Amino acid sequence: MQDNKNNIILIQGMVDESLFDLLKERGEINVFILEGRPRLKAANILSKELNKRQITPTLIADNMAGFLFKRNLVKEVWVSYQKVDKKGARCDTGALVLGVLGKRHQVPVNLYPAAAQKGAQGKQSDILSFNGVRVAPKGVKGYVPLTDWVPAKYISKVHSCGCCC
Amino acid sequence: MKNNLKIQESPLFWPAHIDGKVLLVLDETLIPAKVKYIKVRNTKEAVQVIREMKTRAFGQFLVVLNTFLLELENGRALSPEALVQKLQATAEALNKSRPTFPFAEVTSVVTGWAQAALAQQQDIKTFVSKNVHGYLQGIRYRRLERVQKIAELIKNGDSVLTHCNVSGELAMAAKICQQQKKKIRFFATETRPYLQGTKLTCWELKKMGADVTLIADNAVGSVMADGLVNKVIVGSDRSCANGDFANKIGTYQIAVLAKEFEIPFYVLTQPSSKIACGEDIPIEIRDEKELLNFERKPITKAKVKGFYPGFDVVSHELITQAVAINAGQ
Repeated sequence: MQDNKNNIILIQGMVDESLFDLLKERGEINVFILEGRPRLKAANILSKELNKRQITPTLIADNMAGFLFKRNLVKEVWVSYQKVDKKGARCDTGALVLGVLGKRHQVPVNLYPAAAQKGAQGKQSDILSFNGVRVAPKGVKGYVPLTDWVPAKYISKVHSCGCCC
Repeated sequence: MKNNLKIQESPLFWPAHIDGKVLLVLDETLIPAKVKYIKVRNTKEAVQVIREMKTRAFGQFLVVLNTFLLELENGRALSPEALVQKLQATAEALNKSRPTFPFAEVTSVVTGWAQAALAQQQDIKTFVSKNVHGYLQGIRYRRLERVQKIAELIKNGDSVLTHCNVSGELAMAAKICQQQKKKIRFFATETRPYLQGTKLTCWELKKMGADVTLIADNAVGSVMADGLVNKVIVGSDRSCANGDFANKIGTYQIAVLAKEFEIPFYVLTQPSSKIACGEDIPIEIRDEKELLNFERKPITKAKVKGFYPGFDVVSHELITQAVAINAGQ
């Protein structure tokens, strides 16, 4: 892992796939993806898109980003956004965690358009199961926010599709 | 016990005990579907339940101490010198089982007793067993005291975020809060990849009648920013002289967010001065297969690598208060 010192491109949320062409052009191959609970869409869809570009991503769980930041392994972060204004951006859930970590560790946090728009809340049942298997005990409630509001102070740069320079 | 309050115990509070000539270890990987105990008869089987994470956190501590009791019985026909050697071999095997939990700090206490008994020409089995039982009783008492402290920390109207599982103590504190008519609620992170938050924390809080809501690990920022939680309480696997600690992966980012959102962050610790600071704690990197598969099925069909650090280190400046247990003999 020490070989990854300040070398990891960390991607969070369902970014538009055009980001991967740009990363490929830049020669970025050390791409880490957060799996994206509850539906693991990032693990499945983004990984396949990267595979199409001959990149084999490294998958981590959504709770493992902090470890990478603390060890100074992250070069830059890309998170998907739905809407943006001067005050901040509405992003896929988990973006706020990375925004705060980026600010603390002085790692740039880039916003890239999301592949699709999302509602505010997901289904409770999504979090009570994992990969199609019920895992939560009976009677437990689930709370599934699908987006985070990320204030502008955590955002380094906002990009549009096809532009990451 | 303070106030002479009877505390209802969670099965996770004391997940391993000797029954006759075997050690029964609660298989935490089967909860909530089943409450089943694994029979452990010797050091090899003890190391296996630890490595395979059938038990973890405080359960590991219980397995370590009770494994010495098993080996004292298994080696009862040995000479005193050979028995001490056997216990030393047990200590070495346990120390190598997993890297982050401070196994050597516990095993060295027991091998020290064995050496002392040998030097004083006392019966090793009697001497060490008596000390192990006394040690366990002391720990039990101090953990019950800490449950009371946690209950005092939680105020009426609180909404507490927790991560992974704190081996019964939070759920038992929740029960006390209920008895004290406090209205409280909990948010539990699911804690990938083993989902201890989903399977263990939600299970035991629910069993105690607590109000618990499960969230994904990536929803921590959302619940903090939206003011849905006003306290964080987590456990720890290892503490340092400067107050840094190691706990389940995910704890660091929760601590950073709590600091950012000015939410008090409490950690249950076992103080130790054997390691100076968090950077010196060895962090276990587990097999990527445990992350990339769930119940033997891959979580993605794409070609991916996996990276699975088992623990995070949290710097002391992120902690509002450590709720300590005195782990002394």
